[in-house]
Amino acid sequence: MERTPSLAALVLPATLLVCAVMVAPMLLLFRYSLNLYSPTELMIEAISPANYLRALTDSYYHEIMLTTLRVAMLCTLISLICAFPPAYVLARMQGGWKSWLTILTLFPLLVGNVVRAAGWMALLGNTGLVNTALRGAGVTEEPVRLLYTEGAVVAGIVAVVMPYMILTLASVIESIPRNVEEAAANLGARPWRVFRHVVLPLALPGVAAGSALVFILCMNAYATPVLLGGPQFKMMAPAVYDQFVRSTNWPFGAALAFILLAVTLTLTLVGSATLQRRYRR
Amino acid sequence: MTTLTRRGALGGTAAALAALSAGAPRPTFAAGGQCTVGTWGGDYQDLLIANIDTPLIKPQGIEVLYDVAVAPPRKTKLIAERASRRGSMDVACLSDVDMFEMAQLNLFETIDATRVPNTANVVPALAKPYAIPHIYSGQVILYNPDKVSAPPKSYADLWDPRYRNRVGFADGLYLQVFSSAALVGGGSMSNFEPGKAKLKELRELGARVYPSNEALAVALKGEEVWLTIMWLARGFMWKKGGINITHAVPVEGAQPIVFDMAVPKNARNKDAAYAWLNASLDPKAQVAFADKMGYVNTVTNATLPPELQAQIGFTPEQQANFRKPDYEYIAKNNSQLLDWWNREFKG
Repeated sequence: MERTPSLAALVLPATLLVCAVMVAPMLLLFRYSLNLYSPTELMIEAISPANYLRALTDSYYHEIMLTTLRVAMLCTLISLICAFPPAYVLARMQGGWKSWLTILTLFPLLVGNVVRAAGWMALLGNTGLVNTALRGAGVTEEPVRLLYTEGAVVAGIVAVVMPYMILTLASVIESIPRNVEEAAANLGARPWRVFRHVVLPLALPGVAAGSALVFILCMNAYATPVLLGGPQFKMMAPAVYDQFVRSTNWPFGAALAFILLAVTLTLTLVGSATLQRRYRR
Repeated sequence: MTTLTRRGALGGTAAALAALSAGAPRPTFAAGGQCTVGTWGGDYQDLLIANIDTPLIKPQGIEVLYDVAVAPPRKTKLIAERASRRGSMDVACLSDVDMFEMAQLNLFETIDATRVPNTANVVPALAKPYAIPHIYSGQVILYNPDKVSAPPKSYADLWDPRYRNRVGFADGLYLQVFSSAALVGGGSMSNFEPGKAKLKELRELGARVYPSNEALAVALKGEEVWLTIMWLARGFMWKKGGINITHAVPVEGAQPIVFDMAVPKNARNKDAAYAWLNASLDPKAQVAFADKMGYVNTVTNATLPPELQAQIGFTPEQQANFRKPDYEYIAKNNSQLLDWWNREFKG
């Protein structure tokens, strides 16, 4: 008789892989974050909270964190609102069209973030398509500043994360039996009421999962803020990159990375827990 | 009938691979076989291929691989690999300022002149123990001659209120903008601090920062920016590309920029790397870089056509007036200067 391997043994290879390629580098990075910066020796071995204290007490980094949170929340909200209707349509669709539409939803993911940002730059630049059209139509004489603004970053990030939100929501909406909606309608509920009292509460796990996924992606966005936000606009991921690559200040960069990780993790857990509690009620 | 089990198949494959690797020649990672050059992409890489790789390195039986990136990630890679016995680059290309910073961390071999005979021809002022100077240019003022009627004479002209909102810089050149502001504000190449107040003034005058040289070029072309600080070589290329600009060497003195090449201590193919360095100093290759990219040769045995020399070179007086960067000062202060630039000037 063949012996069934225990569950723990099944999890072992993946666990070892994650430990080797993710946990170990992160531990090393955490160790770096406690070191002190030296311009001539890269870093001085120490166990010091100085980098964390600097990041937590410096108003410049508060502002960067607030910008990151504002952009991430706004993008999550916009993508949630915009993704729900197409996700519903996709979930309720039958037949061949459904797989075509799923592929079309995935299509933007086939193009890298940088390439997509380049497309936005061609659209929004001072000599870009939008400004040329506006000037051609006589709406404005001077180019309107569209590129290198927070609006451009939000638009760019929303376009990046939309497929994730649509597909997560669609998979959960699919599992809601159609007949519960029909039952509500039969009892006289109008479509909006069916949505508010039946579909939305049942889709809350999807809303929680999609929002968590998208929020994490937005908090860590790098290419879009750099390319569409320009040099004056700062979010956390580019700030971390700057410390590592341009300032060669690895200890401080590592501390910023862990602060970003902690804030993202805390907010994601709190957000998901709140939604789950509402779902249970 | 024999059945093929998974275990048997795996065992067989492993045995076959072992047999193959024992009998077959090993992949040529050994010296002479390959040379990995960490470099910028674009025109620079194209010229490396056309003028160094194809005519001078390939005939020696060396295959060149390119690790293409801008300078900051290359610096980070060199640092990240410093403890590794086998680095990923055999030759690293960096600007003189970056090269000094990396050399301070003891990352490079001391150049062995016997293995790079062409170092005998290097302009003495550009020579250094840890790298060879490949090409150089100088930092000048670029301006739009149609918009700026009186040609600027000094960096101080960038502070002229007539050019409000029309001065722009590339983010990557923050050190150069800093040093220019320092010279205007009474500082020196070893003290950029007085530049901070001047930069604040310039910010009030609406100076803009663009994320890359390319973005700045678009702004110059669209006449959004009339004046900037840039390498003369870059100005030469932009002019060739149809941007309406000309240059002025400021009275404070042009600041030379040298692009260097070095061999990391953990390079795997040092012989190939030295062959590459030697080829880079070849007079023909040097003239080709001058002609296409506008960078001046670093060897005395290369001669540029006079009209090209007039466009990209510096007169002996201008050369005597060069403001050389204080590498040590920059290496020590880069982090705080960048921090200030990000917060106060750009923020």
